[in-house]
Amino acid sequence: MSLLSSLDRSHSVAPPGFSRWLIPPAALSVHLCIGQVYATSVYKNSFIAHFDAGQTSIGIIFSIAIVMLGLSAAIGGTWVERNGPRKAMFVSASFWAAGFLVSALGISTEQLWLVYLGYGVLGGIGLGIGYISPVSTLIKWFPDRPGLATGLAIMGFGGGALIASPASRQLLSFYDSGYDSSIATSVASGGALVGLFVTLGIAYFIIMMFGVANMRVPADDWRPDGWDPASVKVKPLVTTANVTAANAIRTRSFWLLWIVLFCNVTAGIGILEQASPMIQDFFRTNGVSSVSVAAAGGFVGLLSLFNMAGRFAWSSTSDVIGRKPIYMVYLGVGVILYLLLATIGDLATPLFVILAGVILSFYGGGFATIPAYLRDLFGTFQVGAIHGRLLTAWSAAGVAGPLIINGFLDAQGKPGTLTAAAYQPALFTMVGVLILGFIANLLVRPVPDHYHEPASPPLERKEAAA
Amino acid sequence: MSARLVVSWLLVAVLLGYGIIQTLITAAKLFA
Repeated sequence: MSLLSSLDRSHSVAPPGFSRWLIPPAALSVHLCIGQVYATSVYKNSFIAHFDAGQTSIGIIFSIAIVMLGLSAAIGGTWVERNGPRKAMFVSASFWAAGFLVSALGISTEQLWLVYLGYGVLGGIGLGIGYISPVSTLIKWFPDRPGLATGLAIMGFGGGALIASPASRQLLSFYDSGYDSSIATSVASGGALVGLFVTLGIAYFIIMMFGVANMRVPADDWRPDGWDPASVKVKPLVTTANVTAANAIRTRSFWLLWIVLFCNVTAGIGILEQASPMIQDFFRTNGVSSVSVAAAGGFVGLLSLFNMAGRFAWSSTSDVIGRKPIYMVYLGVGVILYLLLATIGDLATPLFVILAGVILSFYGGGFATIPAYLRDLFGTFQVGAIHGRLLTAWSAAGVAGPLIINGFLDAQGKPGTLTAAAYQPALFTMVGVLILGFIANLLVRPVPDHYHEPASPPLERKEAAA
Repeated sequence: MSARLVVSWLLVAVLLGYGIIQTLITAAKLFA
């Protein structure tokens, strides 16, 4: 039996007595690694110096990776469903690690295109496949608490940056004794960047393989102890039927959810992308900010914590209050928070931090709750593939959010001279975006019966779909 | 099975714990 076929879905069925609590850490071991993509700013200046390139040329590396994430999740979703989580996680680990190693080659030979190919294209494919690979398996293991299960895994994606940022700084200092991460203008040598990328590539591969080793799918007739599948039927908007990924994208509810995710991510990413200069600008008087560069870095770290905590806390809460109501909170309360941020956010630093932190917790919560919302509407059959297609909203928001914020700010003045008032047009635009998402969420309805698959055993349907 | 459970969650706890502590150290500068 070849290595890949031994990782097939059919060879991954859990034996009786297998603990489902092994699945969340297996999923986390993938998401904690691929979450590194949010920590690329740590070595951005070193890249600029090493390649003698501009901000845009280096920023493109991240953009390619995010676009590839959306594309590979959308295109590869059905493949992931068919082949199972272990093979998908292995493929993800291989692409992700190969991305780092090819990039290391590009850094050592000063060929930027190799970094685009490595981290951007190969790494981006690893990101997309890795992001969706454990989601449907978690939902099947936790039919009683899908929000908690997917929240745990997707929390890891937020947590990945918390780990990668300090680890990257420390590794760069280790490989280049002249590098001081506490000095904003300090840059690491090319050799240190190569060392960093090789170390991260190998370490991430090992950690992700730990997840591959522990991941299992439940047997078709497996149920959690004491859980009655009939209890699902009584909840509104929750179906026990199944919809294929091909049919899901023909439904109105899919595209309404696409708008919901797009709006929620666009609003959050606007703050996330601009966090460090934003807090300095909000507390600038007579051209001088009372918030130092180091303190602004601390604010970015706090936002990451809120982002991560929101993924787990809000997604778990959605198991209790329902998916539609929790998105009404994300989007509706988000509107109020954005209005407060725009109008009184500059009164005190703690107030600004709390408002931005809760907004970012809603941003994270929106990501983590969407798989469970999809499960409610479309069933578990191809929820991973449907999730993959929905993530194109993330790619689109990744372009739209920064465009809105930067477009308005460019019109207000030069960086380093802006004040809180300069942010008001952008923040009020985000309020409009959130209202649009709120309305889209209100319009979500159960999927019509004619989209449902015939009620036959899941195995037969999978074979038919393959 | 229980040893596997402990090792799995320990790995996650160590990784996340490291990240959270390092982030809190950086974040403390905001209110220093």
